Amino acid sequence: MFKLPNVFAATLLGAALVAGTAQADGHKYGFGAPASAEEIAGWDIDIRPDGLGLPVGSGNAMDGEAEYEALCAACHGVFGEGEGRWPVLAGGEGTLTDERPIKTVGSYWPYTSTLFDYIRRSMPFPAPMSLTDQQVYNITAYVLYLNEIIEEDFELSNENLATIRLPNEENFFVDDRPDAKNPRCMADCLNPDEMMLAASLSGVTPIGHFVEGADAPAGSHEAQHELEAQKEAERKAEITGEEVQADHGDAAPAALSEAAQAGESVYNGACAVCHGSGLAGAPKVGDSAAWVDRIAQGNDVMIQNALQGFAGSTGVMPPKGGRMDLSDEAVTNAVHFMAETSR
Amino acid sequence: MTTPSTKELLQTMQDAAENLSQNDRREFLRKGVSYVAGAAAVGTAGTAAANFSSNLPPNEPIWGRQLGRGVVANPYGVPSRFEEHVHRRTVPWLTAESISSISMSPLADLKGIITPNGLVFERYHAGVPEINPDEHRLMIHGLVDNPLIFTMEDLMRFPSVSEIRFIECPANGGMEWRGPQMEALQFTHGMLSCCEWTGVPLKVLLDEAGVQTEGKWILAEGGDGAHMSRSIPIEKVLDDTLVVYAQNGEMLRPEQGYPLRLINPGWEGNTSIKWLRRIEVGDKPWHHREETSKYTDLLADGRARRFTFVQEANSVITNPCPENPIKKPGFIEIEGLAWTGRGKIKGVDISFDGGINWQPAQLKGLVLDKALTRFSFQTKWTGQPWLLQSRAYDETGYVQPTLSQLRESRGVNSIYHKNSIHTWQVQPTGEVKNVQIT
Repeated sequence: MFKLPNVFAATLLGAALVAGTAQADGHKYGFGAPASAEEIAGWDIDIRPDGLGLPVGSGNAMDGEAEYEALCAACHGVFGEGEGRWPVLAGGEGTLTDERPIKTVGSYWPYTSTLFDYIRRSMPFPAPMSLTDQQVYNITAYVLYLNEIIEEDFELSNENLATIRLPNEENFFVDDRPDAKNPRCMADCLNPDEMMLAASLSGVTPIGHFVEGADAPAGSHEAQHELEAQKEAERKAEITGEEVQADHGDAAPAALSEAAQAGESVYNGACAVCHGSGLAGAPKVGDSAAWVDRIAQGNDVMIQNALQGFAGSTGVMPPKGGRMDLSDEAVTNAVHFMAETSR
Repeated sequence: MTTPSTKELLQTMQDAAENLSQNDRREFLRKGVSYVAGAAAVGTAGTAAANFSSNLPPNEPIWGRQLGRGVVANPYGVPSRFEEHVHRRTVPWLTAESISSISMSPLADLKGIITPNGLVFERYHAGVPEINPDEHRLMIHGLVDNPLIFTMEDLMRFPSVSEIRFIECPANGGMEWRGPQMEALQFTHGMLSCCEWTGVPLKVLLDEAGVQTEGKWILAEGGDGAHMSRSIPIEKVLDDTLVVYAQNGEMLRPEQGYPLRLINPGWEGNTSIKWLRRIEVGDKPWHHREETSKYTDLLADGRARRFTFVQEANSVITNPCPENPIKKPGFIEIEGLAWTGRGKIKGVDISFDGGINWQPAQLKGLVLDKALTRFSFQTKWTGQPWLLQSRAYDETGYVQPTLSQLRESRGVNSIYHKNSIHTWQVQPTGEVKNVQIT
């Protein structure tokens, strides 16, 4: 009876001492390991407007042109004008007060460093962090050149990048909201004679799930792409007088080889990003017209291109599509799957 | 929307039709009939007919005369198949493809203030990465005394906090600066969710590393292909920024940043970096792409606001709404959601005449800091047309502005932070349309 409370008190005292130690140490728990200079260097990729973080190096637009055309133009357009809904990179000067402003590096962006930083951390879209510093300097220079910020032969470097000012820098200011003030009026707040009512545009939102028979557009990007391809085919058919080709997906699927079956999940996880949508010039799976010549080259060539990467007039693909974590076998299986479902 | 029985529907239509003119009635009946057809298609067509004949009183329904499935038939449970229509949706033409895109939460079908994990809106810039938590690291470096690397195990050893906070994309509603064009609540306001988030205050982690006195900003960076990065002032971090690994009681969903993300309560969702891998402390902001080219608010005069972090007070009525038309005259609880990035919602007013006159609604349930808050107004609908609006105000005295006030201040090209009072037009048929009043 007597001993137990003593033990209990001793335990409490011990806990208090431990807690006291933690308190004395400025709330430190001591979890986590020191980050080495080498570890930090590998991940510390950010660049600031004052040039902090820029790797030693340089590049120019002349060298960047071919790289831009191979790696960037499929989405951003040869002149930075943007393909489809992909971002426009150049032009648009003086449009910020227009009804439809065009916000580009030259017309809107405040700092050159942002361009280098963004290309390095995120681009090219299908294979981020795959560019060398040299390539990033070259492509940055080329995009600046497209925007008439620098000359074609200007050597952009870690020494001078921060000195290249963009025309719209001064037009940004720090948040000063709240701006719109609304008194909490309770009665007769508006004059009914002056009120205007605008109804929704119809047919631009996918509402088929709750409005029976609604003329709703596609509910997914895949369906949207199919819809647009169909419209485009019909537009061309009207001009050429040719019949619209039947959808390839309608044909009964042929039996897949064992390798192709094994490759399906690899395709879904790694390849569909580009080969499902045609991104970066990738032949779309199921589009037999896009695949017939490639299949004719033989499996070995297709597998070699998938493993080693490919850059040509038709498109660009980094080695293994940028998925270096995939085994050669997995990539090979995915090639079989794509080829066999695209005949 | 639950599936009503045919009998119930016919009764509803008959009741409602009594309040309609002859023309309206014909239209309503036509719509009602097609609704029945739609309802049958939701379940399997065969069982819908069977339900009607045998599952209603006085009959004993089929599910009362047989056995259901046993435990762990679904080891991780999923909603009833009758709720399969409740899911995230996208508007494909908004973005070039689905990898760098957005989907919206089905606000019309949600109850209370918590968004179920599978329905939290999605926003990715390079798709959802599949991250092995054993190989995930959080690095803290820059202007600190001790640069550190944490494993997930390290992070989960810290005392944890759990807080209910909303998260909203600042582009929520951004498609409607010029005019109404989204025909459903899911698309007008669905870039909005609210979860209980569990993790560690970032301040605790920074204390471990020891922030130097020149440290005024942090850069938070994701580990996905976009390596999304945002500059956050240190005052926010010391106030309430969280590094979280769980939402609504379970580990984060991959879509929400598994295994680790930042939560900046009340601030634009883009700052709550997902798949968080790195925090750098610096003396100045970085002005990266997501805080210059994007997420800056272009004004009519060509100037642009930057670091527009706070999501100002906003609200929307979720019942009725386009997805939840009024099916029957009589009692109706007008319900909705209000939220503010500046603290707590103080109150919400309702207008039935497009903003001429207002009446206070009741807040109901939990009223929490920077969390979705429910409001309610009980009334009767007798078939009269309404121009329904809600207007939230918060504890700082800020009152949600009208669309005209916002446009007058900012023009129509801001894209972000459109928090103006929203209008639903309730038609004599009970249908609800998205309209704008200026």
